[in-house]
Amino acid sequence: MAITVDIDFDNPDLTDDTDLQNEIFLQVFNSGDGELFDKLYRADAISNFSGEPLTGAARLKFFKEFLASKPSLQATVTHSYVAGDVALIGVQYTIDGIQADGAPLHLEGTCTDVLRRVEDGRWLMAVDRPVAGSLLPE
Amino acid sequence: MTQLTSDVDKHTALYVEAFNSGDADAVNAMYTEEAVAVWEPGVALTGKARIDSVKEFLAAGPKMTAVVRQSFVTGDTALLIVDWKIDTTDADGKPEHLTGVGVDVLRLGTDGHWRYAIDDPYGEK
Repeated sequence: MAITVDIDFDNPDLTDDTDLQNEIFLQVFNSGDGELFDKLYRADAISNFSGEPLTGAARLKFFKEFLASKPSLQATVTHSYVAGDVALIGVQYTIDGIQADGAPLHLEGTCTDVLRRVEDGRWLMAVDRPVAGSLLPE
Repeated sequence: MTQLTSDVDKHTALYVEAFNSGDADAVNAMYTEEAVAVWEPGVALTGKARIDSVKEFLAAGPKMTAVVRQSFVTGDTALLIVDWKIDTTDADGKPEHLTGVGVDVLRLGTDGHWRYAIDDPYGEK
């Protein structure tokens, strides 16, 4: 899917707007570009998308592999709290795609996200934590 | 009594201690100035309303237990998932048992201490 949101590919910013955050997150995920998607995360951010907490190079590797088949993510924001330079966002998501063996992939659940406003003023992911199933099949 | 810690793994136990002592100032010192608390689902409190709410709630002498189920700790920001229970008395003086799964966001301050930035005790439905 083409990215239509305004985004600096070198220094992406999830912004302080909850709806725009969600839109940017979805569009970058759905673009299939794992390297760009990883740039939405702080260097020390922890992603639990794989079912395990991953950071750094392991997180990037997972995103590149998982997004390569271009799974389709849909998400709606259920709640959002902002406390200065940190935010807690809840979303409900569904993911549809094709597994490596050709079988259909369908996942759904809720995800808790922690975002941070970093030194240069951009908002980036600090922690994500999907519940009721990881983004990988059991 | 100061309960602040540079060890995020000790934060929840220290909070429970402060809470059970009934010391509202000690409890409130464990939040950032901009902290948001959602003690009633859907009602986010901040600033003076949040601070006053702690005083009011602790006046009934509630006792809490809490167990950290998961923790995700980055350099200066942490997410804790906490199973908690509180025994207190309601407005009519009847015993009340509260329980939930809290979603806590903590920030490491420039003084090296962790504090709650977001306290969402019913965060996990």
